[in-house]
Amino acid sequence: MQSLVARQAVLRPSALKSSARTFATSSVRAQAVPTEKPVLKKEFKIYRWNPDEPAAKPKLQTYSIDLNQCGPMILDALIKIKNEIDPTLTFRRSCREGICGSCAMNINGQNTLACLCRIDRNASKDTKIYPLPHMYIVKDLVPDLTQFYKQYKSIEPYLQNDNPPADREFLQSQEDRRKLDGMYECILCACCSTSCPSYWWNQDEYLGPATLMAAYRWMADSRDAYGAKRKEKLQNELSLYRCHTIFNCARTCPKGLNPAAAIAKIKLELAAD
Amino acid sequence: MSSALAARSALNARLASTFTRRSLRPLVVHARSVSDDAYVPGGPIYRGTVNDPTTFPPPSKSHGSYHWAFERLLSAGLVPLTVAAFATSSSSYPLLDGLLGVSLVMHSHIGFDSVVVDYLHPRKFPVLGRIMTWTLRATTVGVLVGVYQFNTNDIGLTELIAKVWHA
Repeated sequence: MQSLVARQAVLRPSALKSSARTFATSSVRAQAVPTEKPVLKKEFKIYRWNPDEPAAKPKLQTYSIDLNQCGPMILDALIKIKNEIDPTLTFRRSCREGICGSCAMNINGQNTLACLCRIDRNASKDTKIYPLPHMYIVKDLVPDLTQFYKQYKSIEPYLQNDNPPADREFLQSQEDRRKLDGMYECILCACCSTSCPSYWWNQDEYLGPATLMAAYRWMADSRDAYGAKRKEKLQNELSLYRCHTIFNCARTCPKGLNPAAAIAKIKLELAAD
Repeated sequence: MSSALAARSALNARLASTFTRRSLRPLVVHARSVSDDAYVPGGPIYRGTVNDPTTFPPPSKSHGSYHWAFERLLSAGLVPLTVAAFATSSSSYPLLDGLLGVSLVMHSHIGFDSVVVDYLHPRKFPVLGRIMTWTLRATTVGVLVGVYQFNTNDIGLTELIAKVWHA
């Protein structure tokens, strides 16, 4: 303490030399009180189910967090809850920017990506978060997407052509390339498929909008030569024709794509076959 | 999840899927891991391992695109047909009236059949589904006979609607 006083005494003459500047900055600094953001508590009701207690029924658990101490998106709120309140809360997340499709869940009744869904800042209303509807649940907000991926695999989502150009890559006109726009962007988050009532009732046989759009993405590709085989696979009453143009898929897609249009084009091409 | 998947693919497929499903949802009955097994409501619906793609039913255009195209053409055709039937019903040869009767019955048969396939498909409801399918077929035949009788021995469909409309 004594040494501090001594140091101040030594420094004082130099401080006086630039007195004008010191005075100005220190006065401003004295006024700058850090603004305390008001506490904005909002309730999040989150679906909980623990496979370790299988007899316990799934329940909605309420968490209250301060929105002014939280990022803008639902995923930020979930991460905040997991970090600060309840580390047992389980959900999938990865890229936090809408490109991986991991954090697909049902937020306030709408399937969407938690990372692309803003928190409603109206604190008087709670936000309800469920896993994707009508799926088997692994834990909390994590659905079992095995069947979804198996279906995706069944449409052979890769280029098939027995006569590739010998000396160079496939060439494609700009118009042909444009046909794939609005389909190749699909990230397979399963929001559309799990919003489709037909997929709810018949998901063991009906492929669902995401898979069907992926199927059409390869039918529409000018470089693919297996279009006829791809179409023949869908010639039955369940795989494709359980689509009753409900349009939930196009309405819910967090990437703004339109699987319903792709399905309509498949139906038209099959009918014209 | 990824560790569960790895465990599943590493182990015997059928055993593993049954195991994991059991630990996930022990409240429901599990029976099916291959396609021959009966479908159990609430049970697992996987066939084969997690790495096997799902399979497709045998292709059949009459269940696929032909059915769909016929259904759509019939629906669209009903609009002009209804107008034409009403226009010609007062003539002595109300052929279109009979055609409208048949088309309407076919249209509703396809619609109800779609309901049965959606909600009571025989793969899920082996007894009730078949009962409903055959009930629907019997009803359709019955209605067709009724419409035929009504159109030949009575005033006919469009005349009836016109009468009720003006009553």
